[in-house]
Amino acid sequence: MSRFVVHRLWQGVIVVFCVVVVVFVLTRLIGDPVRVMLPLEATADQRALFEAQLGLDRPIWEQFLVFVGDAVALDFGDSLWQRRPAMEIIAERLPATLILTFSAIGLAVVVAVPLGILAALKPEGLFDRVVVLVSLIGLSVPQFWLGLLFIVLFAVQLGWLPTSGRGGVEHVILPALTLAIPAMTRIIMVVRSTMMDELNRQYVKTLRAKGLLEWQVVGVHALRNAAVPVLTLCGWELIRALSGYTVVVETVFAWPGLGLTAIQAIERQDLILLQAIVFVTAIIVVAVNLILDIVYKAIDPRIELKAA
Amino acid sequence: MMSNWLTAAVCAAALVTVPMAAHAQDIVIAIGSEPTTLDPHAADDGGEKAVNDNVYETLMTRDADGNLDLGLAADWPMQIDPTTWEFTLRPGIRFHNGEPLNAEAVVFSVERMIDPDLNSEQLSYYSTLAGAEAVDELTVRILTSGPDPILPARMYYFMIAPPGASTHEDFAEAPVGTGPYRFVSWDRGSEIVLEANPDYWGDVPAIDGVTYRFIEESGTRLSALLAGEVDLITNLLPEFMEQVPQAASQRGLEHPIVILNADDGVTADVRVRQALNYAIDKEAMAAVLFEGAAQVEQGQLLGPTYFGFNPAITAYPYDPELARTLLEDAGALGEEITLVSTAGRWLKDREVTEVVAGFWQAAGMDVDVQIYEFDEYLTRLFDRETRAEAIFVVSGNELLDADRSFSAYYSMDGFGASNSFTELRDWIDQARTETDLPRRQALYHEAVAFAHEQAIMAWLLNINNIWGMSARLQWQPRVDGKMFVSTMSVTE
Amino acid sequence: MSQDVDLPAASTVEPVKVEPAADGLRAEAPLAERRAESIWSELLADIPGLLGAVFLAALVIVALFAPWIAPHDPAAQNIILRLRPPVWMDGGSWAHILGTDHLGRDVLSRILHGSRISLLVGLGTVALAGGFGVLIGLIAGYAGGRTDAFIVAVVDIQIAFPGLLLALMILAVVGPSTMTVIVVLALNGWMVYTRITRSIVLGLRHTAYVEAAEMVGCRPGRVLWRHLLPNLASPLLTLATLEFARIVLAEAALSFLGLGVQPPATSWGLDVAQGKDYMFRAWWLVTFPGIAIALTVLAINLVASWSRVTSDPLEREKRFARRIIGSPGLRARMLAKGPS
Repeated sequence: MSRFVVHRLWQGVIVVFCVVVVVFVLTRLIGDPVRVMLPLEATADQRALFEAQLGLDRPIWEQFLVFVGDAVALDFGDSLWQRRPAMEIIAERLPATLILTFSAIGLAVVVAVPLGILAALKPEGLFDRVVVLVSLIGLSVPQFWLGLLFIVLFAVQLGWLPTSGRGGVEHVILPALTLAIPAMTRIIMVVRSTMMDELNRQYVKTLRAKGLLEWQVVGVHALRNAAVPVLTLCGWELIRALSGYTVVVETVFAWPGLGLTAIQAIERQDLILLQAIVFVTAIIVVAVNLILDIVYKAIDPRIELKAA
Repeated sequence: MMSNWLTAAVCAAALVTVPMAAHAQDIVIAIGSEPTTLDPHAADDGGEKAVNDNVYETLMTRDADGNLDLGLAADWPMQIDPTTWEFTLRPGIRFHNGEPLNAEAVVFSVERMIDPDLNSEQLSYYSTLAGAEAVDELTVRILTSGPDPILPARMYYFMIAPPGASTHEDFAEAPVGTGPYRFVSWDRGSEIVLEANPDYWGDVPAIDGVTYRFIEESGTRLSALLAGEVDLITNLLPEFMEQVPQAASQRGLEHPIVILNADDGVTADVRVRQALNYAIDKEAMAAVLFEGAAQVEQGQLLGPTYFGFNPAITAYPYDPELARTLLEDAGALGEEITLVSTAGRWLKDREVTEVVAGFWQAAGMDVDVQIYEFDEYLTRLFDRETRAEAIFVVSGNELLDADRSFSAYYSMDGFGASNSFTELRDWIDQARTETDLPRRQALYHEAVAFAHEQAIMAWLLNINNIWGMSARLQWQPRVDGKMFVSTMSVTE
Repeated sequence: MSQDVDLPAASTVEPVKVEPAADGLRAEAPLAERRAESIWSELLADIPGLLGAVFLAALVIVALFAPWIAPHDPAAQNIILRLRPPVWMDGGSWAHILGTDHLGRDVLSRILHGSRISLLVGLGTVALAGGFGVLIGLIAGYAGGRTDAFIVAVVDIQIAFPGLLLALMILAVVGPSTMTVIVVLALNGWMVYTRITRSIVLGLRHTAYVEAAEMVGCRPGRVLWRHLLPNLASPLLTLATLEFARIVLAEAALSFLGLGVQPPATSWGLDVAQGKDYMFRAWWLVTFPGIAIALTVLAINLVASWSRVTSDPLEREKRFARRIIGSPGLRARMLAKGPS
């Protein structure tokens, strides 16, 4: 087990390093942050001073070493837009993204697992067909559009929920639902197909023959065997949402998380903040990946040490 | 199916009744961007101003139409020599933390603003500020590097901060001023809360508390207003003035213009430049594109209440035939003209650009519209060597004085000018330091008339600021766009 | 982007089922014909799949002939006629069946032209990512050893990247355009193809007929072409279809965020973004392009779910079994003929 963790940890470090390299290469390609950030009337001296502050006047290899050092120290300097440490802004915005992500994935799992099981009970039955069709539609509707629709319907027309922003529990519902729907449909599909496979197995027939109640057969035995692929998928949904897929939903609902901040940073050409967001996100993704790997391994020791 | 929902929603939106907020005397204002800081001297930032305008006060103020008036100053400032202005302060005013408002506070604020360590983004408004000295407890002199006739106008934006509190580490997050509202809390990313200052020296305001929410998307701001979550939203699109419970529209500070290249290309001929002005139907643009929430710019880049406005000059009328004749005389019919612009930076920038191009095309030019991303657009705006024939830009003038706009877009030394008229530059340079007001006025009148005759740009519109308001909010907006909560009230 | 139909990890979730290419060795004409016939009849039997296929075919025709079909130039503006509603509402007219936008452009024409961008970006990305991914996968699976280990490591690292944020960063730095969108989406998607290709090739390399072919001296190219590719075709086709659906949504989302297709080009996502500000005044501006995206993706998904069932022998058997159980008549016929 510890060899496994060390191996995965090492892999994570490589991933983060690669992200740092990619980010560095990208930011040095950009047009000219100096010109965009300063007011129109700025003098040549002010421009030179600003360039020196950003370290853009030093040789490229030196800039890279400084950059890697900053990344290790988790210090990317001050955001150009807000004029305070980028990490401070991230620390403020990260909880919002985590709340949104976990609520959405939680919601998706709670809704999708029972629906998937019920659909699997009677393959090609009416319920199954409806679930499959609705899932396909849910998978096909663009999220930004769905979000707008929810705002118009539930917030403006019915007045049940707030339109946007962060506040109490009621503020989370619409963004979380919007974020959850695609994940929900994918989980439904996988639960449905794994459960169908399980229910066709010999042991299910045996258990039924033994006179076990149907809910015991389905809810306990079959579900337990179907758990690993379903859990794997849920983990992937979590990672996917954390790795930036909240951007659209956060933009539509003015939800002050990392995704919205990334878009704001792009609009304001604030590369310092943007690269800090990308870096922190990479660390989170790697960390969650590692945790999930350990969890899977604890659940099912058969999982290969060097999971692909 | 979906469209039915939306149709229903639109009907409902039109009929929506606004639920009352919890406390009748508390309001919520949605602004477009979160302040980056609440330090009154550091940033040039609309969000910061929206909040701090209620927390801090300035020596001079303006009435709703833009006429200069007294603020913290007890009397009109006196210019005791060309580079020194003397202000006397109202007695007995205290900052929210109890520090007294006195000459020392003003001196401190001036020195803080020009301190290179602060590296203030606002410095371009105070380029002439050189220092300040206290004469006695309530008399202070502000020194300028050269003669500055518009220093009092500049002081309208200059917020006075307390020397004690502003050295605290959290000053940028917890502002302390003398204004009618004092700071309560700032939940980053979500909201800022202010409450009425019970010890305010002026009239006690009607609104007890105000919450600022930050909503970037104009559609989302509108939804929040329609859903009754907020009382006031900024930058309402003209299209929605009918849909919201109340809309208030007031001439603003933004003037979209198209700079015409008087040095080079087909526009070097003054007849072509005039023709391009005659070819644009500004009234139709104001009526249709802005649904009436814009005025035709009177051919001078100034609003009627600005210092330097020349009432003898009016807009080029819409005269497509004359435009065509002039182009024909100049031999420019069918010639290519490049129109450079950007999108998403200013209200309806792309739309205005496209419409202008359409009018010019109709007049007989071959218009090549080039819309660049802002960064790229700036490169072209700054490049004095190879300038396009026409560049769209929106000029804003917070000082309500001709100097700011003319130095940038009229004078051949300005970053946005495309001409080499030395006389125009000389008038503008003289007026900048001319302290005799009638003579200064005369210089600007001359500059306005000359630039108009030479058609150095195509003047378009003066755009209104539009606010959406809940049914209960009572407020008369101002020409400078400032949202003083102390001038608002709610019914019931 | 926010709604991948199949995530990169799909291959770990659902192990790829390898269909031994029974007819790979002797691809005779009659058999191929019979196969095509049965695919056709299966498509006919799957009504949703058929509808999806018909919709897609229509979409391709619209995209190809958009300039001739569209009633107006999608970029032609008329500010006097701005924000006109669709024909069936008060103030609408037959000149602009789905109304006009905030610049007075014809919504229907913009939607018809927008299909081009969706299909172009979808096909471009799938071709680029698929071509590159399959090639790398073949190399990994076939070469084995260090090459394989290296490729697997690269794929693993890239899959663990915060791909979307990096994509946004690339777009912000390089500047958004149709071409950049294709490249960025392909950069984010090639690994899936590599994984599937590699795992199939690994599975097949040690089957008797591939070893036999190698033993009799077939060149690697021939082995790849004759023995491996036929087995790759159907899982890759399914994957490509699913990826296609993902890309259409991703392009729309990027354009919505202002980081995708740039005006004056038209894209459905861009139209929704531009119409969003007018949502409460002109609902048709967000509604119609949104429906266009949803229908297109739904059609692709329907075709994909049909083809997944059709190309996956296990799924096919399951469905076959269910059908027999479900329909007494069919069961009788099947019993008489025997399953194929």
